[in-house]
Amino acid sequence: MEAAQPKSVKRVPSYCYNCVSGPDLMNVKVVDGVATEIEPNFAAADVHPAKGRVCVKAYGLVQKTYNPNRISTPMKRTNPKKGRNEDPGFVPISWDEALDIVAGKLKAVRAKGLLDEAGLPRVAVSLGHGGTPSNYMGTFPAFLAAWGDVDFSFGSGQGVKCVHSEHLYGEFWHRGFTVASDTPNARYVIAVGANVDVTGGPCAVTRHADARVRGYKRVQVEPHLTATGACSAEWVPIRPKTDPAFLFALIHVLVRENGLEKLDIPFLRDRTASPYLIAPDGLYLRDPQSGKPLVWDENTSSAVVHDTPGAKPAVAGCYRVGKAVVVDADKERREYSDVEGKTAYEMLSEHIEKYSPEWAESICDVKAETIRRIANEYLEAASIGETIVIDGKTLPLRPVSVTLGKSVNNGWGAFECCWARTVLAALVGSLENPGGLVGTTVRLNKSRDNRHLSVAPGEDGFMVQYFNPTSKEEWQQSPSTRNLHQTLVPIVGANGAWSQALGPTQLAWMFQNERPDDWNMPMPTLPEVWLVYRSNPSISFWDTRHLAEIAAKFPFMACFAYTVDETNYMADVLLPEATDLESTQMIRMGGTKYMEQFWDHKGVVLRAKAVEPQGEARDFTWITTELARRTGLLEPYVKAINKGISGVSPLKGEGYDFRLDPATPPESEQVWDAVCRAATLSLSEGREEHDLKWFEENGFYTVPMSRLEWYLTPTMERHGLRYELPYQERLMRAGRELGRRLHEKKMNWWDEQLSEYTALPEWHDVPGRWIRNLEKTGAKAADFPFWLLTTKSMQYHAGGNAAIEVMHEVAQNMRGHAGVIMNAKTAASLGIAEGDRIEVRSHIGATYGKAALVQGVRPDTLVIIGQFDHWATPFAKTMEAPSLNSIAPMSLDLTDATGSGADIVRVAVRKIEEAKAA
Amino acid sequence: MKPFNPRAVELAAPKQQRNWDWRAAANFICGGAGGSLLFCAAFAGLDLSATRIAVFLGLALIGCGLTCVWFEIGRPWRAMNVYRHFATSWMTREAVVALVVFATGGLALLTGSKLLLILSGACGLGFLYSQARILAANKGIPSWRHPASVPLMISTGLAEGAGFIVGIAAVFSSDPGNTLLFVLLALLAVRAWCWRRYLAGLTATGAPVAALKVLESLGPRFHTFGNGLPAVAVVAMLVGLPGRSLMSLLAGMLVVASGWFLKYTLVRRAAFTQGLAVNHLPVRGRGPSGPAAKPGWKMMPGGNRG
Amino acid sequence: MTRYVMTIDLRRCVGCQTCTAACKGANATPPGIQWRRVLDIESGEFPDVRRTFLPVACMHCGDPPCEHVCPTRATTKRADGLVAIDYDLCIGCANCVMACPYDARSIVHEPRYAYGDAPMASEAARFDPARIGVSMKCTFCKDRIDHAERTGLVPGVDPEVTPACVNSCISGAMGFGNIEDPQSSVSQLLADTQHFRMHEELGTEPGVYYVWDKS
Repeated sequence: MEAAQPKSVKRVPSYCYNCVSGPDLMNVKVVDGVATEIEPNFAAADVHPAKGRVCVKAYGLVQKTYNPNRISTPMKRTNPKKGRNEDPGFVPISWDEALDIVAGKLKAVRAKGLLDEAGLPRVAVSLGHGGTPSNYMGTFPAFLAAWGDVDFSFGSGQGVKCVHSEHLYGEFWHRGFTVASDTPNARYVIAVGANVDVTGGPCAVTRHADARVRGYKRVQVEPHLTATGACSAEWVPIRPKTDPAFLFALIHVLVRENGLEKLDIPFLRDRTASPYLIAPDGLYLRDPQSGKPLVWDENTSSAVVHDTPGAKPAVAGCYRVGKAVVVDADKERREYSDVEGKTAYEMLSEHIEKYSPEWAESICDVKAETIRRIANEYLEAASIGETIVIDGKTLPLRPVSVTLGKSVNNGWGAFECCWARTVLAALVGSLENPGGLVGTTVRLNKSRDNRHLSVAPGEDGFMVQYFNPTSKEEWQQSPSTRNLHQTLVPIVGANGAWSQALGPTQLAWMFQNERPDDWNMPMPTLPEVWLVYRSNPSISFWDTRHLAEIAAKFPFMACFAYTVDETNYMADVLLPEATDLESTQMIRMGGTKYMEQFWDHKGVVLRAKAVEPQGEARDFTWITTELARRTGLLEPYVKAINKGISGVSPLKGEGYDFRLDPATPPESEQVWDAVCRAATLSLSEGREEHDLKWFEENGFYTVPMSRLEWYLTPTMERHGLRYELPYQERLMRAGRELGRRLHEKKMNWWDEQLSEYTALPEWHDVPGRWIRNLEKTGAKAADFPFWLLTTKSMQYHAGGNAAIEVMHEVAQNMRGHAGVIMNAKTAASLGIAEGDRIEVRSHIGATYGKAALVQGVRPDTLVIIGQFDHWATPFAKTMEAPSLNSIAPMSLDLTDATGSGADIVRVAVRKIEEAKAA
Repeated sequence: MKPFNPRAVELAAPKQQRNWDWRAAANFICGGAGGSLLFCAAFAGLDLSATRIAVFLGLALIGCGLTCVWFEIGRPWRAMNVYRHFATSWMTREAVVALVVFATGGLALLTGSKLLLILSGACGLGFLYSQARILAANKGIPSWRHPASVPLMISTGLAEGAGFIVGIAAVFSSDPGNTLLFVLLALLAVRAWCWRRYLAGLTATGAPVAALKVLESLGPRFHTFGNGLPAVAVVAMLVGLPGRSLMSLLAGMLVVASGWFLKYTLVRRAAFTQGLAVNHLPVRGRGPSGPAAKPGWKMMPGGNRG
Repeated sequence: MTRYVMTIDLRRCVGCQTCTAACKGANATPPGIQWRRVLDIESGEFPDVRRTFLPVACMHCGDPPCEHVCPTRATTKRADGLVAIDYDLCIGCANCVMACPYDARSIVHEPRYAYGDAPMASEAARFDPARIGVSMKCTFCKDRIDHAERTGLVPGVDPEVTPACVNSCISGAMGFGNIEDPQSSVSQLLADTQHFRMHEELGTEPGVYYVWDKS
């Protein structure tokens, strides 16, 4: 209700993309020029899977706009000393001065050359969570493209702290940078830590709610009863980081106890490498002439190349092959004659024999009978043989999947989990088929907006892959980025900024301080200029207190700044950008995107400026254009915009040309008007053209999309390609080559990581790695008897919104926010009561919070929600909320072969203060 | 009211009410005693000056209670709106009765008329009754809404009135007289019985665990100091032990003080809200449903509801 | 006859607090005041534990105890089932707060703002002095329902005349409509499901139905 009668009320269509599960649509209610409310945009109800609704975070955007703690003018640092205990002494300056300072530094870099003496980019850029900043930074990507070499090594939210192994292996196996259940058709989902009702955004929440009412079963396997666990049919409180053992045991039940005849044989035979024959040395047996992998043709009872027309490859069994070769690392060929070849499936079957439910029980603390029951329920629900008609095409309906959550699918053990769950899908034919396990987007391959376009024939009957080379000639022995992504991680590739950003970020931070003794590469340098937007690694990374000290050493740092925060506390210049409701941008929506954003439509949506920016905050596109102009990059910058780099569509296409003049700095409205027109003409194939004004009224434009685009398998079938499962010959070879390269340089510090390159993953006491790590530092394992984990909350997940008061208020309705969740019985045994202030201490430090006692967590596990422990961000610093990040180490020991770690650490806990009465 | 930011774990459970603070409690404490004092004064047969003191004190107590409330309500300058809902609101009725109490009591004070005295006494009793009903009408507070709270509030009010009369008689008159002492003794017995009945009733029908805990811990002290000790004193006086004046005063004060403590406890410390409950845990997909959850309550045998 | 009720499908609710935040935005409630919220209720013992998300607010009772006790007739039950408060009549005695068995009402005695003593522009624009010192609660977004009366739009069907919380709910847990109309979506849902009303035994005839299973 309003106190006085308003003079004008309008609703401005917009979007929320504060987390990767966006965009979702909304309207901003503006009363007499003031944004007062966020509302769903029901005009999108028919095209948006969540019917035009946004999640709780969006309802904090009004406060975000008017928060008095915002940086309202450009600022510069007056205290040359940097550090947590050094007041930066920020003073307001004009935009002219601020931009000149930043452009001056950038020009100086260009004068010297984009790469420094170590061959590393002099400019580093950090952008926050999961690519979401690009939905708010206007044309900045065009500026970065115009700039050239940039180091994204220090990126924080994205990459190694995300679902990293899923990103890499998901994209490798089935173009699933993010992987989801096909919830609209699902009947049985095993969610191993996947907290989808919290992080999946409105689309996932809506779909899973529909699925519950429809009667699907979701089994949540996780040490802590999350909101998603709460909404599941069953909760399996597994011991932290033992998920691979659980998943291996599921495979065991399917393969060893049920057997091939109950599995999806046609899928395994035709769409996977299950029939490929493996030599005794573990490599594919290949045809000596063509080099193609061999299969055993049941029709002719002979070994033939995998793509022989009319052949019926045997999925299981051992067969004698007359003549064959294998190709090992560095293309070393070995010849075989009269050799026994086992099919890849046979190898899997033998490999998985030892991983029985009884074996897993002692590791996972989950009863063998439970594991066996779940596996059998999964198999039964897969309804092998059932079909569904989608847009006239008959496809298999395999409504089962295994989804993985953060810290299950990053860090040690994650490769094994990703492999196991993808194999589980392949065994029943649910991989990329209706109802099953689907990838929803790609980031390491192109095109980003249509993953099907990334499917093309590559080696050995598989999809084309762009690994970082590991051959003697091509291996990058002098790193091109500070996180060494091309040097150390073949699978991450080098296909643009995303490959970089998914490199081992912690190495970039760690190696600034100390390096292994056998570090035989150029010494890493500090970036001369560090630009940061929507990223606060001093809160969101690991060992954050230490990280902030390293960041303080960076010579020049400019931050696009909303409020002062723990990272920009070290900045030299703060640039206040117009925030969500104050600026204009168009992005793509629909199609298939992150998480469960796969729609029946695809299109574009405009974030229209709803209100004037507060203070001196400026539209990001204006800031970017000014930076381009002042650094002399106007022409390449505008050309990049014309190419469509800042989003949506190239400005020139068939039948239209809205390209901007590269000699004139474009106005923001001019840019987006051109984008609006180009986007609509391109989407409608020339039928419709809408300008910025139209979008300011209507918000979005879509065209229908076939559901067939949700599933990759039909595309694979069209190309006659197989998924590279279950046997990982290529990865094994890549690992061998990488090992050789490193050892040739006399470097052994990555040896432990090389052990991950196996054809069939083995269990290797994953949790033990964390215990050994702390023992290595001289600490006693017995002194740190608990696991500490993190979990997410919808109110804060990825939102960068810790400064928003209303989020804190509503988050308090959920158990555990701003506290430490622990088992009530465990707490009682330690004399800890609800609300007592407790210390949680790891071997590197302590964090403090109030005890939140629950039954829904394992007795050996503590959980902290989100990433807090702020000391500079206004409002957030008064919350006294703890954080795992403050006490979780960055360590090579805890870095897996993909370069990721996990949010887990061993801790001790003690009471330090009684709860105060409410 | 201070901002109240309960922790998530406390949100569903019954919470101590925070809207009626000591000022509201003072209205029940003083008003009930005052109304009852007017009633007792009309029939105690004290001499005129002592009666006048009693009436004055009764009116002062009621006035004091109402003033406290006036300071508590959010919109004191609209206080006259309180008269708008005589049909069902016991607060309106209390306010109406208060007007008549002051009219009759004031005139009785001025004129000393026996008739007005009796009228004001009847109104005082009405005031006491209204207050008891105000509490009982609050369905949100299980320890108030129990029907046995009405006789408890009335019985303690009456005992407090009688306690005042005995005290006033001891100070301002020669002697309270045995009849008055017998009446006090009887009222103490009635109050003790009402308390027992109330607590037993509340326990039987169910109440927030926290409320029962407060009330149960009050019981022994209330009986010892509020009923037992004054009763011993009264009996001692009746059997003719010396120090009658002092004992009367002490007995009266104990009766009043214990009643006030009882009411303070009831209005503040034991006033826990109903809390929120879920009768059936929902079915999530193909999972099971579940039994009821009613945080902060002991589940009553044989049912989901309490 | 019209009796507006709300349905809340507990099978769907994920406890996200979107409705809580949407309500705060739509009704401009001050910090700490929530006309509705979602409770996070845990029951059982490890490892047999259940967590239930229970949205709660004013139940717009058929026989509202708050109305009975209100001395000013500020609280009234309307013919369409909404329990309304006239802020100009209310004296802030809090009797209704005590009478409500659903913790639905609150009184704020002085202005409160999200960040310190001064209001943000969005708070200043919507500050209503009439709501200081009086009883407040969920109104079922009364203004929207009144708008329906004027326009012929249908609450629960047309978003403009549907409560903000219902509109916002991303799990589709909430429904709104006329229970006297057997064709309304709420009537149909209730016909197909098992449901309960909270504290029904207190005789309040609550107007919020919690769905917990199919029938």
